[in-house]
Amino acid sequence: MAAVKRLKRVAALQPGFISFKSSAESDDLNSGRRKRVNKNKKKNWNKHSDIQDVEEFLDDVRLQERATGGLISEKPDDSLFFVDIGEQKKSVLPEVQERKKGKKSKSRPLRIDLILQHDSLVPPPKDVLAYQQPNAKKLRRIAENAEKLAAMGVLPRRQKRLLNRRPATKTSKAKTAANNFPDRPYYDLWGGEAKETADPYYLEQTGKRRVKRPEKLNAKPSILPAVEVIAPGGSYNPDFFSHQALLLEAHEVEVTRERAELRIERQLAVKREDTATEETVFQELVEGLVEEEEEEEDDVVSIRGGLQQEKKTEKERKRERADKIKSQQKQAARVFTDKKQQLFQLRSIQATLKRREQRTRERVAQRKANQEAEKSMPRRLGRLKFQAQDLEIQLSDEIPGSLRTLKPEGSVLKDRFKSMQKRNMIEPRERAKFKRRHKVKYVEKRAFREIT
Amino acid sequence: MGGLQKKKYERGSATNYITRNKARKKLQLSLADFRRLCILKGIYPHEPKHKKKVNKGSTAPRTFYLLKDIRFLLHEPIVRKFREYKVFVRKLRKAYGKAEWTAVERLRDNKPGYKLDHIIKERYPTFIDALRDIDDALSMCFLFSTFARTGKCHVQTITLCRRLTVEWMNYVVTSRSLRKVFISIKGIYYQAEVLGQLITWLVPYQFAHDHPTDVDYRVMATFTEMYTTLFGFINFRLYQTLNLVYPPKKLSALSASLARVVATAEEEEENQLDQFPADGEDLENMEAREKEQKEQEAQNRLFEGLKFFLNREVPRESLAFILRCFGAEVSWDKSLCIGGTYNVTDETITHQIVDRPDIDKQYINRYYIQPQWVFDSVNAKMRLPVEDYFLGVTLPPHLSPFVEEKDGDYVPPEKLKLMALQRGEKHVQEEEEDDDDDDDDEEYNDEVDDEDLTEEKNLKKMEDQRSQGKTLAVKVTPGKVKPWETGSVGNKVRLEKEEKAEEKRLAIMMMKKKEKYLYDKIMFGKKRTTREANKLAAKRKAHEDTSKAEKKQKKAKKQ
Repeated sequence: MAAVKRLKRVAALQPGFISFKSSAESDDLNSGRRKRVNKNKKKNWNKHSDIQDVEEFLDDVRLQERATGGLISEKPDDSLFFVDIGEQKKSVLPEVQERKKGKKSKSRPLRIDLILQHDSLVPPPKDVLAYQQPNAKKLRRIAENAEKLAAMGVLPRRQKRLLNRRPATKTSKAKTAANNFPDRPYYDLWGGEAKETADPYYLEQTGKRRVKRPEKLNAKPSILPAVEVIAPGGSYNPDFFSHQALLLEAHEVEVTRERAELRIERQLAVKREDTATEETVFQELVEGLVEEEEEEEDDVVSIRGGLQQEKKTEKERKRERADKIKSQQKQAARVFTDKKQQLFQLRSIQATLKRREQRTRERVAQRKANQEAEKSMPRRLGRLKFQAQDLEIQLSDEIPGSLRTLKPEGSVLKDRFKSMQKRNMIEPRERAKFKRRHKVKYVEKRAFREIT
Repeated sequence: MGGLQKKKYERGSATNYITRNKARKKLQLSLADFRRLCILKGIYPHEPKHKKKVNKGSTAPRTFYLLKDIRFLLHEPIVRKFREYKVFVRKLRKAYGKAEWTAVERLRDNKPGYKLDHIIKERYPTFIDALRDIDDALSMCFLFSTFARTGKCHVQTITLCRRLTVEWMNYVVTSRSLRKVFISIKGIYYQAEVLGQLITWLVPYQFAHDHPTDVDYRVMATFTEMYTTLFGFINFRLYQTLNLVYPPKKLSALSASLARVVATAEEEEENQLDQFPADGEDLENMEAREKEQKEQEAQNRLFEGLKFFLNREVPRESLAFILRCFGAEVSWDKSLCIGGTYNVTDETITHQIVDRPDIDKQYINRYYIQPQWVFDSVNAKMRLPVEDYFLGVTLPPHLSPFVEEKDGDYVPPEKLKLMALQRGEKHVQEEEEDDDDDDDDEEYNDEVDDEDLTEEKNLKKMEDQRSQGKTLAVKVTPGKVKPWETGSVGNKVRLEKEEKAEEKRLAIMMMKKKEKYLYDKIMFGKKRTTREANKLAAKRKAHEDTSKAEKKQKKAKKQ
């Protein structure tokens, strides 16, 4: 409230200020009513002093400096005035063609750049702090000393260490340690170093001792040799008969395969008897329609004794008992006589025994032979059976005359793979099929649905 | 009677086996990891004798492993490494997904790896055990070294396999261990004798490659991983036995090491010691062994002193290897590959191996032969006459050295000729039909006929002999001098054979009835085979006759 009043009063005191109230009255009132203000107090310096003229003057000076770079009164005459001689003839010079680019020529600067330019001729003041450096003298002195020493060859410790440090060779540890690194170093594995340095019990308890490999694992899984050489008919320039023998083998394989196929076809074939003839067709159509005389079968089966007689009479029971005893006696007698007679049948008994023994021996031998044969056969490990490879042969017209025209048959990779399966080292496997978890749904796109 | 009854499938074979899935779960590994572990450790599935018992009543086909084997697997330290690898893959995938490239690099640098050295030591406790199993390893490494270096399998593996195979070939060359070679349609079979072990391996042709789709590459890669480790250690040990530095430098051409090879070979020859018979050995055995050794050494120097040049179209690596193994000097055109020491124009070349029908420029003092000469000479253990292998000549068939014919089996006439050559006989003019002379033809004809006839006669006589031996059980027939072979034969050989036949007859006479019955059965079977062999020989003769007749007709027509 007081501030507002003060401001109003200050404004009213400015020369040329026209207030609402009449001037005479205001003058009179103000001049009469004006309070005596102590201008010696600092508080009143701002309120009751009029520095408008000074301010104007200073503004004017600043404007001159901004616009023209200095006071106009201090400028030389030449920069302010010029002598007007009159219009000069325009010199006949070839005018440069105006640019055809139009209003948006590249030579024109951007408006924003123009706005952001400094448009006062007063240069911005120098930032003194930017040039100030604490300890500038000291630092300068140190730098000069270091230069002098470096010129003589003495380097600070840090630089010496940097120079001595080798350049960092980036050897990938993982690559060199890998199993298939081409320049992998080998050493004498069977060198015979004593590995057991500590007490075996200690090693076992702390889990540092290597577990012994069971003996059975050292046995080879098959007696077949690792590399089976092909038959002599497989030579690139084979002898006639060995080649024929090999062809015969392949032929046999093909024949068995064909026979198996034929067998399946035969099993599936329709029998000629089952085909419908006219008679059977007619009978089928007619079944049930015509009443035939049914033949009565005499199926009175007489069940002897069981249902009619219920109780056995005493007689019957006695008879049965006697019969039983008699039969038992007969049997005993027969056994006795048999035993006595066996004494005379010794030779034939021996013969039968011999025959039996021979049969068992033969069977044992056969079983052993089968077992031996099985050892060289591939065993059944897993779901799939072992599929032997096709024999590698070349037909008579494919046999090359020379090594140059030889076309290799079969793939050694496949041969090695099959050989490993044959030797029971890996089980035969097939490629895993791609099974979909959810059924595939086919949906028409909306656009197409509208069309169709 | 409470729970003390014996339940089914709780003891015995049912508890000794475990199915594959159960084993996998016990080890807490994925199926691929489990298979890899089994391959590395050498644990194979077993087929139980009584499947129904083991499978608890069902006969569904399942893969079974022995429970003790799986329990042994639990102690394997690389199982931990597999699990670490699984974790590593997961972290890497996450880092990739979040596009944290520094993390990716850091993880890659610290990728977990495992070593197989302890597994090899455990599976093959001695060096000889490892040598016995090297066949498989060799074939796999040779196979992988022929693969193309595309990204299908690690290029590093292929490089490593190549290095190991070259080292092995260098060892064989230095130790002169190669014995047999067989060129088949599948690949080339070699057999070498290293430290008393016969090692056979198969090398595929360089230019054959259609990768079949039904081969499991991961399994093969795992096998190769194990085999490369094993192979490397074996190589180191073998080089140690020869006092050579391992790993050898600059082996890519097998030519730069020639100087060193020759030097070491010479050193070895100087160190031959006199051999004294060990206690309890017969003098005969000693002599036999000495003879064998001399033969071996003669064989080792088969091509020594000869200089070969390989033309562009012949399989360079294989031929260079074989020729070097037997002491020859080999070279080839420099533009083909590094290592060709001398050029075509070198005057001192003794043989040039060419596979074309003819060649433009022919030098006088060298033989131009087809590559089969080398292979056949190696198998025959002697330098065969070069005339059969000139350019444009139809080659004799390449016989397999891996076939051993027993008594009475069919022996192809080429092999008979070979054996005769080896024995030192010289058959006059073995040239095939010359278009110039008919006389030569007829001579050859007669000789072949003679040979075959005598063969058949001999076989028949052998049959008769044996049948005689059977019936005349008591009598001792006086020895008959029979004409065994055409040409001059050492008496010694004949006498030896006669002695053997005598001994056989005596043994037959002294047999009991039962044994004789069995012997007769065997003989009957053998006679059958000899009869078939005769038939085949007759067929062969007939075939040759007809072909010769045809050729004669053709010639007549021409003239």
